[in-house]
Amino acid sequence: MKAIKAKHLFHGVHVPDHKALASGKPIENAPEVDLFTVSLSQCLGKPSVPLVKAGDAVKQGQLIADAGGFIGAKIHSPASGTVKSVSDAIVIENDHTYETDYMPALSNPSPEEIKQRIADAGIVGMGGAGFPAFVKLNPQDPVDTLVINGAECEPYLTCDHRLMIERTKEIAEGIRLLSKALGVEKVFIGIEANKPDAIAAFEAFDFIQPVILKKQYPVGSEKHLIYACTGRKVAPGKLPASAGCIVQNVGTCYAVYEAVVLGKPLIERILTLSGGAVVEPKNYVVKIGTPFELLLKDNLTEDAEKIVCGGPMTGAALASLSRTVTKTTGGIVAMTKKETNVEQPTACIGCGKCADVCPMDLMPMNTAFYTAAGEYDLAAKLGGVMNCIECGACAYICPARRPLIQSIRKAKAEIRKGGKK
Amino acid sequence: MKQLVVSAPPHLKTPRTTKRIMIDVVIALLPAAIMGVVLFGLYALLILALSVLSAVLTEYVYEIVAHKAWKSPSYFLDFWKGFDFTSVVTGLLLGMIIPANVPWYLPVLGAVFAIAVVKMLFGGTGKNVVNPAVAGRVFLFISFAAMTAYPVGKDFGLFAVYAPDNIVTGATPLTEYLAGNTVQVTKGMISNWLFGFGMTGCIGETCKIALLLGYLYLVIRKVIKFWQPLLYIAVTGLFAVCLEGFDFTAFLPSVLTGGLLLGAIFMATDYVTSPKSNLGNIIYFVALGLITAGLRKATGIEVVSFVILLMNIVVPLIDKFVPRRPFGYVREKKAKEVTSK
Repeated sequence: MKAIKAKHLFHGVHVPDHKALASGKPIENAPEVDLFTVSLSQCLGKPSVPLVKAGDAVKQGQLIADAGGFIGAKIHSPASGTVKSVSDAIVIENDHTYETDYMPALSNPSPEEIKQRIADAGIVGMGGAGFPAFVKLNPQDPVDTLVINGAECEPYLTCDHRLMIERTKEIAEGIRLLSKALGVEKVFIGIEANKPDAIAAFEAFDFIQPVILKKQYPVGSEKHLIYACTGRKVAPGKLPASAGCIVQNVGTCYAVYEAVVLGKPLIERILTLSGGAVVEPKNYVVKIGTPFELLLKDNLTEDAEKIVCGGPMTGAALASLSRTVTKTTGGIVAMTKKETNVEQPTACIGCGKCADVCPMDLMPMNTAFYTAAGEYDLAAKLGGVMNCIECGACAYICPARRPLIQSIRKAKAEIRKGGKK
Repeated sequence: MKQLVVSAPPHLKTPRTTKRIMIDVVIALLPAAIMGVVLFGLYALLILALSVLSAVLTEYVYEIVAHKAWKSPSYFLDFWKGFDFTSVVTGLLLGMIIPANVPWYLPVLGAVFAIAVVKMLFGGTGKNVVNPAVAGRVFLFISFAAMTAYPVGKDFGLFAVYAPDNIVTGATPLTEYLAGNTVQVTKGMISNWLFGFGMTGCIGETCKIALLLGYLYLVIRKVIKFWQPLLYIAVTGLFAVCLEGFDFTAFLPSVLTGGLLLGAIFMATDYVTSPKSNLGNIIYFVALGLITAGLRKATGIEVVSFVILLMNIVVPLIDKFVPRRPFGYVREKKAKEVTSK
């Protein structure tokens, strides 16, 4: 369908996107890995329960850990080889034969079969939060719209962009399967205006309505994507299903395609390696459990000041490269001192810019003020902290460099501890 | 590889710091300050310089004493690394809202009072309850009679020597107007008002064109929101029209004479002492306009600085009682209706 412009606007901030670094790099295979370390915490929710023990031989795609609870995900072996150890991560030595043990491919599956396969393939939300995909597919409220998130509003990251232009047909098939599983007719795909090639690619499918999103952070947030595409607002504290919508990331749609049509469980993902301290930015297909050190080994300049797992607006800064790729790792961004702009905080001057850019229309300065005073009730009442999505727009714009996200997290933790809201 | 830095997200920050914003405000004030010197002579420059210097020095001395810098002498220099230009703004603003024929020690006294008492004693940058420059002016105004006699712009010439006895002073056009003298608004008069020639007033407030240039700069640099000063100015003008029995000739004199433009653009919009939410700001600026027009009518003198001072004190209350609804908020009554359906 012909792309339409998003009419519904909300507050946000313009962040330089730095996407030109990696957006022209085609997806390529990551270097060979000898030793995979697959973490048992692959999603939001309980860690998975291992099904193998040290010494076991495993095949690529074999189930090695079961979901730890309803909100949890199954984990499959990224390669064939031998299990070396099992603790809070499963270490697998690669025998480089890549002998596969996939599930059977499904042809013309029923909605129930699709949902079951998505759970069996261990698919989680690939956008970053990592909410198990099948939980979202069993909503409490009636749903009539599927919104696909191709916004990728995080600066530097280009993995979704590359996926959308290189694997358009596969994603469209995944979207078709998802809409069949949910039984919905209306399908929107929201793409930020800085990716015109991706928007054009999705105009070819008559069951998908591409929506051109205004270039603004955080347009890829679930609630704001729904508002931009459909004009519906999700009430505070409610799930998107309460507005009749389900949101899935394009990466998730691709994983659904692979799981249903090819029978391949979620054992690899696309990852962007970018930033000013990276010699050559890349878009890699990486297997889950690949060590960061291997990816960055020969590709890092001397002046790397910060290495961020995920996008620079919400991702975590790493103290070392000992981490490994999980199902939610969308990117590794290595930044120079000039890019990160690390400065000491100065006094709040009450400019109100944090409130102006807050997409949730909250008062971050009040949260910071009352959290510093230990008045968490007032932080919730006058700052609205419990509705915060922690997008980081307020801390980005703050001219005094106040550590607003830290205050918000502290207030949330204290309020949850006290059981008050 | 060197030691990596670990901190909470976001890992990107805007290049616009407090210091940069304050420098922007100084740049925006410059046209009006320069026109003040052109209109009132080099003595006005001396007043502005004294005001800025004593403001900055007061902050420096206060911080040196407060930090007991003699115990760790590196602070003598570290102060300047962290210097955020807020006291430059205060000093310059204070110099611009006093008349050009005051003795040299008045701006010094005012700046010391503004910085030491109004700003630093309350906790420094961002903690002051009222705008320091406005409080400094009001302090001088109620202490010295010299603050009530305004020289006429262009009477000096640029290089005139300060000689208080020879200066022709007079009521400002606003006070004349408020005293009930009928004002025939002519084209020549409006251009005099706009450029400040032959007008009485404070150093920085007579040239309205220069103030409007500063306003444009602040809006373009997104330091202030364009509607904030406009709201204050429009409400003042329109309420004055109402008070005069819908006499629309009252609009231009009450807007273009006196300290309204300077107050609305640079003093009422001060971040620290204005409300933080948009709704709060609307209440604040409308209240400013109403009280200004009302008090001007009632007292017959220029009251902008007093009104700003008054509303500054109310700001914490506005901030506390003006709620901001989160994105997607549904009113409770409406929510009940939805659920009952």
